[in-house]
Amino acid sequence: MTILNESGVPDVLSPLYAVNALAEMLPDAMVVVVGTRLETYLSRTLPADLFSNAKVQDSPKVLSVILDPEAPPEQGELASQLVEAAAGIRGVEFLLVVAGHSAELLGVNAEFEAHLASRRLSLQTKVVSPDANSPGCLCTDLEDRVLAALVEACPQYTPKPASSDSAAFKRGGFLGGLSLRGRSRADEAREDPVVLLGPSFGAGDELAGDLKRAGIEVAGRVPGTGSVDLPQIGEGTIVALSDPHLATVARAAEKRGAKVVRTLMPLGMDGTSRFIQDISAALGQDSEEPARSQEMWQRLERLRSRIRGKRVFFAGDTGFEVSLARFLANAGAVVLEVGAPRLDRKALGPEIQALGADVDIVESPDWRGQMKRIDESRPDLVITSPGLYVPLVARGHLCRSSLDILKSGVHGYEGARRILELFAQTFDRADALDSVHL
Amino acid sequence: MIGPTPWTPYISNAGMRILRNTYEGPGSHGILRTVAGIKGVHSVLRALPSEGYFQAAFGAGERDGEPAAVTISPLMETPDGSLSPGDLERDLTRAAMNHPETETVMLVHSETSLLANEEAPSPTLPPHPETGQETKLVTCEQATAGIGELEAADLALEALVRAHATLMERSPEPTVNVFGPPLLNPGAAAEYAETVRLLTLIGVEVNACVPLGANVRDLSQLSQAWANVLLYREVGDSATLYLQDTFGTPRVTTPMIGAAGTGSVLRTIGGLCELDTNKIQRAIWSELGQTSKLPWFSRLIAPESLRGKRAAIFGDLTYTLGLGYALAREVGLEVACAGTYLEHLEQDFLFHTNSFTDQAFVTGNPEEAAARLEEANPDVLIGTRVEREVADTLGIPFLPLCAPAGPKAFVERPLMGYVGSSVLADLLEEALNRGQEKPKTSSREIPWTDEAMEGLEETPAFLRGRTRRLAEEYAKETYAGEITRDVLERSRL
Repeated sequence: MTILNESGVPDVLSPLYAVNALAEMLPDAMVVVVGTRLETYLSRTLPADLFSNAKVQDSPKVLSVILDPEAPPEQGELASQLVEAAAGIRGVEFLLVVAGHSAELLGVNAEFEAHLASRRLSLQTKVVSPDANSPGCLCTDLEDRVLAALVEACPQYTPKPASSDSAAFKRGGFLGGLSLRGRSRADEAREDPVVLLGPSFGAGDELAGDLKRAGIEVAGRVPGTGSVDLPQIGEGTIVALSDPHLATVARAAEKRGAKVVRTLMPLGMDGTSRFIQDISAALGQDSEEPARSQEMWQRLERLRSRIRGKRVFFAGDTGFEVSLARFLANAGAVVLEVGAPRLDRKALGPEIQALGADVDIVESPDWRGQMKRIDESRPDLVITSPGLYVPLVARGHLCRSSLDILKSGVHGYEGARRILELFAQTFDRADALDSVHL
Repeated sequence: MIGPTPWTPYISNAGMRILRNTYEGPGSHGILRTVAGIKGVHSVLRALPSEGYFQAAFGAGERDGEPAAVTISPLMETPDGSLSPGDLERDLTRAAMNHPETETVMLVHSETSLLANEEAPSPTLPPHPETGQETKLVTCEQATAGIGELEAADLALEALVRAHATLMERSPEPTVNVFGPPLLNPGAAAEYAETVRLLTLIGVEVNACVPLGANVRDLSQLSQAWANVLLYREVGDSATLYLQDTFGTPRVTTPMIGAAGTGSVLRTIGGLCELDTNKIQRAIWSELGQTSKLPWFSRLIAPESLRGKRAAIFGDLTYTLGLGYALAREVGLEVACAGTYLEHLEQDFLFHTNSFTDQAFVTGNPEEAAARLEEANPDVLIGTRVEREVADTLGIPFLPLCAPAGPKAFVERPLMGYVGSSVLADLLEEALNRGQEKPKTSSREIPWTDEAMEGLEETPAFLRGRTRRLAEEYAKETYAGEITRDVLERSRL
């Protein structure tokens, strides 16, 4: 295992890219981006340019406040704008203000303005910054900060003093009793609520389903169905993360006293299985997950055979690449290099270990250097960042954009099947195109 | 029946604006778009690590494979002694050293970087490794954090021209420089190609195409040309004015759109290049006979099919004016209204539109533009990709001919020149036929109840247009006979 820090400028999308997805993820929230034209461009125009047909890239619940550098706003002016903006959209319970360095440089105290607006509208507000002062920004950074804010806003969990038996008794009923008997082993264990944190990319319910089949009930999720609908978090809650780069979220949960399970991401067969096992372990339960996942793995043999031996290069821009690479290596692919704009060694420790000794990780890769290495090693497939996609396709490489993979829903066992299917389709299509006599 | 209230302009607080979307990107984007089209110039974008995006935008828009010559110098704290990017002086030097094709380095500041007001270094860049020539460092001094994409592009091109152009002998045979649109403009390369074709036809050689396709040597030899043909005033205005003031090179500024516009440009160039007038006229007639089909289309089409037909145009300056002239004079369509989002060119725009429409307006707010266009109630709408929604609401044909228009087409078609006029004829014919087949299913005829109107009044001005459109669309979908308070509430988010 080599981890090389290239100290380059990686090809990543701005965290502002995630604004539209965030607005959709939080149904009763409205997002206001405050800054110059650049922030508006990055959050509104660019996503539409990159994915011209995706409706979700243009959320109607996102508004931009463009400040005029020649006439910076007076104190309280921004608050009035926020009030007016929120009044225009029905059912807004939560106002998310995205304000970064540029607003700060123009003398805007976003916290103060949001507080003022919050008092006048009597709804919750939160200010987050999209900017980073350090290398390695990821397009998920904004999500990390927003979800951390939601975790802070969660009601405090206080463990019930009553034994789990009496709680089950209250639920009572014949069927209740039956299921109780069926899970007698679990009953002896603690019944700490499990909370899932992290954007789900559309497959969150599937992950909860996987956990349920393993006898683990998910008590709540952040983001849930709305910001008013937040689960209790506190001492005695078990927290699991669905994204490797949620350091702020993890810290917020730990501060509340929750136990954060450090494990593999629930991505791929191996990852989901370990994820479920480790949560079971945290709950003090035994797990039959290895056998179950083994059986499912067998059933995917047809897809695995399409991946086996393929040489894959991960350019790295979403932060999911280490986990994806680990899964593909597990499925028999040869991983040539994994780019990681930022390598959070604490969060990714289990992943890096599971990735195995033969794979190189390049931290903070320089995209021009990556292109050179890709040209030299000629991989069968490159999982590219957004800026490299077109140039690499033009050089004759078979490419998939990492965002396309994430969009398909990668979590859980079903997500693992989808990932393999996506790769198999990619190879099938490339074969079909190559066989056309031009 | 109560109709929706006419649009009342939303007066924002001093300078601050609240928008759903914008037409123009930031100034830094305009500069990068312009400079990335010039070979031998490497841009260094000084920006926060979270502000790097140009490669992605460039790849998605241009789709032709070469990465842009743009490097980011991240504005962040790096530990002392670190060799990672972030030290602007070193990053500028590296841009020159690591890219052997670099002859000039353009320092571009992102909006945040401009606001941070850091002192820009002016290192002496290493000379070109092969030619030994000095590597120039150019900055666009006038760009501020507040200006829009095209104004910044215009200033940056002037700065580049200023830094390179030298006084040279006029070429023995007549030549011109073509100042056209930058990268990511719809059909940009095709516009240059058509212009070059026509110039060759009248016997004028092209000295340089700027910015798209130029190289550093072209920039230094601009003063050889007999005239500057300004196809796209938005980006070439200041540069050509500078060349006029410094070297006395005259400018041709008529939009080369439509057969009349193109003929006028060619005749002007002929005059400036001291060509035989008869030869020019013969070339024009030959083109009118063979290539330019817009006048032919206008003669073929039955006058009744145009009677009462009204077009609305919204876009930048050149295309809005050029298409406006062509539609009004050459085709005979009534131009119900014309608008631009280029607020810095307001006076220029209003002065010229005066000759073909009574309803001209300037706004950078898509909501206001939508309201104005709806109010004009045209039969055909020409706009940027943002206006598609308006055309859908009105149920009328839509032609996205103005930037921003989305990714580059694989087969680029010009709108300028004689070929462009034929492309326009095809587009118009299709749009007008489409409009005829399908009776206008405007949702605007659905009446509003008093209560619903009150509800609409309560929404903030800048959201009113969208709220109204959503309600009307919702009413249409649900076959509601009128828009009640309930329909309004349910249609909202």
